[in-house]
Amino acid sequence: MIRVEHLTKTFSLNSQQRKELGTTDSTVTAVDDISFSCEPGRVYALLGPNGAGKTTTLRMLSTIFTPTSGMIEINGIDAVKDPQEARKHIGFLTGSAGLYARLTPNELIRYFATLYGVSDNAFEERKQKLYTLLDMHDFQNKRIGKLSTGMKQKVSICRTMIHDPQVVIFDEPTSGLDVITAENIIHLINDCRNQGKTVIFSSHIMSEVDLLCDDISIIYRGKLLFNDTMESFREQMEAPNLTAEFIRIVNNSKTPAL
Amino acid sequence: MIGTIFKKELKDTLRDRRTVMMMIIVPTLIFPVILNLFVGISSSFEKDAAEKNVNIGVVSAAPSRMDTELKTLPAELGKKALITVSDTIQLAKLIADDSLQIGIFIPAAADSSIARKEAVPILVFFDATEVGMQDRAKAYLEYVNEKLKKERYAELKIDEATLVPITTAYRNIASDKEMIGKFAGGILPYIFIVFGFLGCMYPAIDLFTGEKERGTIETLLTTPVPRWKLLFGKMGVVVLSGLTASTFSLFGLFFSIEVLQVIDNPEFLAIIHDILTLKFVLMLYLLLFPLTVLFAGIMIPIAVRAKSFKEAQSIISPLNIVIIMPAMVGFLPGIELNAITALIPVVNVVLATKELIAGTLEWPLIILSFGVMSALAVVMVMLSYKRFGSESNVVN
Repeated sequence: MIRVEHLTKTFSLNSQQRKELGTTDSTVTAVDDISFSCEPGRVYALLGPNGAGKTTTLRMLSTIFTPTSGMIEINGIDAVKDPQEARKHIGFLTGSAGLYARLTPNELIRYFATLYGVSDNAFEERKQKLYTLLDMHDFQNKRIGKLSTGMKQKVSICRTMIHDPQVVIFDEPTSGLDVITAENIIHLINDCRNQGKTVIFSSHIMSEVDLLCDDISIIYRGKLLFNDTMESFREQMEAPNLTAEFIRIVNNSKTPAL
Repeated sequence: MIGTIFKKELKDTLRDRRTVMMMIIVPTLIFPVILNLFVGISSSFEKDAAEKNVNIGVVSAAPSRMDTELKTLPAELGKKALITVSDTIQLAKLIADDSLQIGIFIPAAADSSIARKEAVPILVFFDATEVGMQDRAKAYLEYVNEKLKKERYAELKIDEATLVPITTAYRNIASDKEMIGKFAGGILPYIFIVFGFLGCMYPAIDLFTGEKERGTIETLLTTPVPRWKLLFGKMGVVVLSGLTASTFSLFGLFFSIEVLQVIDNPEFLAIIHDILTLKFVLMLYLLLFPLTVLFAGIMIPIAVRAKSFKEAQSIISPLNIVIIMPAMVGFLPGIELNAITALIPVVNVVLATKELIAGTLEWPLIILSFGVMSALAVVMVMLSYKRFGSESNVVN
């Protein structure tokens, strides 16, 4: 379970960043007082255009970034006060994540299992299960740098799941992948839901969200514009389709209130 | 956990061809190549100089005893040929185009000067860019001078020994080992420092900036491992790489001397054996360790902050010069390890190593140098930790 309350993240800007952003402000608020919760056995989608604050939110959930203010609870653990403990329960996968090209999948998976403190017995059992599930046996001893994109994605999935996390965070997991490779991720998300794990993923592709999620939130300029179930989203739709509705909600937020 | 990170990073580093090149191959080859070149070039110079046929142009205003003496110079003064030239203008021209190497002008009154027991004013022409020619000319004329002097002593019935009021003998109390240590000892630490720095450079960039660039740092930071452990595991590999590069340069030195037998002078070889003892090697590592940690501590904050491999390299590479410059102090004779130089980082390591080679080390100064380097290394490690702990630096 993930519980987020009044989460805010502000970054300081140096002179070069101020020039690039065309602002005189010394800070920028990437995430502005957002609250939501993700339940076990459900898939939560964080939908928003580029630069909306999705990655910053997920980086705070995965404890890479420390929030400026607000509370994050991961499986009952306060992730702000005890990030190290919270990380034990988190699996984190991003579409842009790289792998150590000079290692083999076996070496990489073993390394991450050790970092997560997985016992030898549990490691062997999970490794075999994941290798079979992802059909990784044939390339387990090849250098990762020599693998295809699809194979690398499988290694990434295996790395994310080797410690059997209860909370899985995906940051635009299918970005840059072809349809066949993206299919592995879709399967993984569904499997996680079926196993009762808490899943949160970010995307800017409405069709992907429609296919996978149970709950949805729309984030824009660091603020949550919508936060409810997918069912409720469909019921409240004013536009003819999901993508048009997403665009409508985002555009409405740009119009100043009368 | 630090051990797990260290092992993984070491494996990753050793599979990087560029790092292995800078860490093992280049340092191993540097001494054999330098020594072979040095010995080869210097012996070829000596051989060439000994075998070189020197053309001596002689301008004689009138035939004289000097011409005869120059024609009968002994063979042990080297191969030579005497060529008569009409005037000094022609003489200078022939030296300039290398047809002649030495030119000697003998005045018309040479014989009468000799008869009157006066000095004959000889003018010698030479090209200073032709190494050794002035010395050759001096040797020829000194030979003639001595011969004529002896004749005058005989004619004047003077015992040559009575013209020598004092004789002087100089006794050098410095051992050969000390001489080598003080005058040439700077080269050894210089090469260790250069390779220690270069050995650290690629792993530092690869393990920090490289992780950012490849997008692997994010996943690493989501593991339940404290950041200081990640830093120490990675830093350990950077330091080890620097020390490995220094070690392989030392290995290259041993290899050149013991296997390739580049040095064939038995006395010099005995001195080198006397220097390269186990105690020397251990003391050298005691000084190199904090220096290498310091190098790693300087490079890591830069590598953490840089957004790309290229950016990190463009900052660290010029830094090489800033750090290597003080190491060159070791080449200067006269600068020694004292209470002031022991406080200057890098310089103190070079000078302490020179003292080690010369066998004249003073423990308080060695301890002071070690203390200064260790304190600086700790400060830089703390700075590295601060940078690595900063989220804005770690994630692009």
